[in-house]
Amino acid sequence: MSAAVETESPPYETIRQRGGYWAQTGRRLARQPLTLAAIVVLAGLLVTGGLAAQIAPERWNSLDLAARWHNHPPTLAARHFFGTDNIGRDILVRVLWGLHFTEQAALLGALFAALLGIVAGGLAGLYGGWLDAVVMRFVDLVTAFPAIVLMIAAFFFLAPLTVAKATLVFTLYLWTQVARALRARIVTLGGEEYVQAARALGASDARIFFRHLLPNAAGTVVVAATALLGQIVLIEATAEFFGFGVASLNRPTLGNLLAEATTTGIGRYNTLGLGWWVWVSPACVLVLILIAVNLIGDGLDNALNPRARRSG
Amino acid sequence: MSLTAFVLRRVALAAAVLAVFSSLTFLFFAAKTQPLASHPLLPAYWDWVRGLFTGSSYHSLIGSGIDGFVPPSLWARVVPALGRTAALVGAALVLVVVFSLLVGLAAARWRGAAPDLILRTGTYVAWAVPPFLLGLLVQQVATTLSDSHGLGPFPIAGWPGSCPAAIGINSGTITPCPGAGHGATFALNVLRYITLPGLTLALGFIGLHGRYLRSALVEALDAPFITTARAKGLSERRVLVRHALRASLATFMGVMLSDFGAVFGAALAVDWVFQLQGLGTVFIRLFPTEGFAPIDTYLLQIMFMLTACFVLAFSLLGELATRWFDPRVRAEQT
Repeated sequence: MSAAVETESPPYETIRQRGGYWAQTGRRLARQPLTLAAIVVLAGLLVTGGLAAQIAPERWNSLDLAARWHNHPPTLAARHFFGTDNIGRDILVRVLWGLHFTEQAALLGALFAALLGIVAGGLAGLYGGWLDAVVMRFVDLVTAFPAIVLMIAAFFFLAPLTVAKATLVFTLYLWTQVARALRARIVTLGGEEYVQAARALGASDARIFFRHLLPNAAGTVVVAATALLGQIVLIEATAEFFGFGVASLNRPTLGNLLAEATTTGIGRYNTLGLGWWVWVSPACVLVLILIAVNLIGDGLDNALNPRARRSG
Repeated sequence: MSLTAFVLRRVALAAAVLAVFSSLTFLFFAAKTQPLASHPLLPAYWDWVRGLFTGSSYHSLIGSGIDGFVPPSLWARVVPALGRTAALVGAALVLVVVFSLLVGLAAARWRGAAPDLILRTGTYVAWAVPPFLLGLLVQQVATTLSDSHGLGPFPIAGWPGSCPAAIGINSGTITPCPGAGHGATFALNVLRYITLPGLTLALGFIGLHGRYLRSALVEALDAPFITTARAKGLSERRVLVRHALRASLATFMGVMLSDFGAVFGAALAVDWVFQLQGLGTVFIRLFPTEGFAPIDTYLLQIMFMLTACFVLAFSLLGELATRWFDPRVRAEQT
């Protein structure tokens, strides 16, 4: 369809659209400063979280035993930049490790969900027929499970929850979104001249899929997988707010740090007299990740589908 | 295909999905817990299905050997909670439709200018804050602005006739709970109690759908028929509302309603934070926090079913809305 639009557009439009698919997408992205900023912020957060062991080798449960540093607001002294909690644990260190483990869960879950989605969506789109019908009905079925309800039940029945189990649950639930998006894109691409030409030349299904369909559908997959990152972070945080998942003592995540701080440190729950900084720090990092992921998703979508670009 | 045939077909499909869905959840979750783990699976499943109609609960399975044991009805806990959740979701639906329209129209009207930038920033932030955190923040703001009971006439927790648990808010001064009232008084009380949680639940989705509507409107405003409308000398407001909005409404309502099933997950958290004792509370209370207390597996199954029904019903509503608002779809299918 996009090919048809390009042939209709005036010649100067064709001349301007030099370069391959990714070069064009990159150029369109460069014209969206907000998306670029979101990418920089998210990449910065991911790198910082990934380097937690190097930045804060003392790990998340280390205490500052001096009583004056208990429940202390953010300060430059003693390097408690984000303050400390009621037993003298540094909030910055805890948030850093929380980011580390949240990022681990989100990246692993999104990666495996995307892989499963590519396989299922690719097979359904490429072969159609009964295979397509079966896969898509299965997608409908999984989509009818509301995320939070299913995750809470799964986390409860799988306790004690490990990284592998959590990744498995996220993969089995979230692959459908990638599969649905990829299948729709492949069905559209199947009618394109270059795909039909490759088919007429006798290219194998595998060659058509990996050389022609997947590279042109890559953007769709990336957009869907980016959205998964945000969803995993959100689902994990909500489940942990209800007390399902892991405790921050063993494995801090942004979700359980926030949950433990909010169930004891905010509004009518504030029974420990925790300061605002205990929940504000993980909350801000969590919200920042989600905003960045949403902005990147929208921005990539605009850059990949230039006809819908005007909304930017 | 006529409308009736279309709806019937979708309902039949939904029933099939529910049947497969219930057997899967039964196999993966319910059958793992006592007492079902020690019962043959198929009869237990059949017993549960029968229980949906007779109201016999999981207690009947445990207590079937005890003389004079009258098991409580399965629906006794579900129906009141369902009513409360329905009120919450209904309030949120009204708020989402009204405010998404306002936000989308305002942002599209002043595209690129200050109101647009402020509204778009707001929509991104609103959608990114998890509902449970938003609920706590709303409560915090309400208690800061007003007193610990709520923001003026709007209480920060509880439901007419059932006051919140005595943590913080009521500590020391446990006041007798005002009655729920009858008829119009009750309806008014429900509205008072539902306002803050409804707003909390709606806020994120206003952020999402206000943004979608803005994109749809902006795209519509570039279409040739808008140029025609402007050339006819129509006022900008009339162009926006009568022409651009009319064209975007089918997509907006369709997507909004289809995705509204997602509200259920958020409603769970809001319900819990505001202590509405709705389905969310029933669901969370199902799981014992520690020890080996048995789970009411029949109720767990019902919760799965209800949430799935919710998602399926809104997805059908979304398609119906698209048909209703888009004459092209209507013409294709009739």
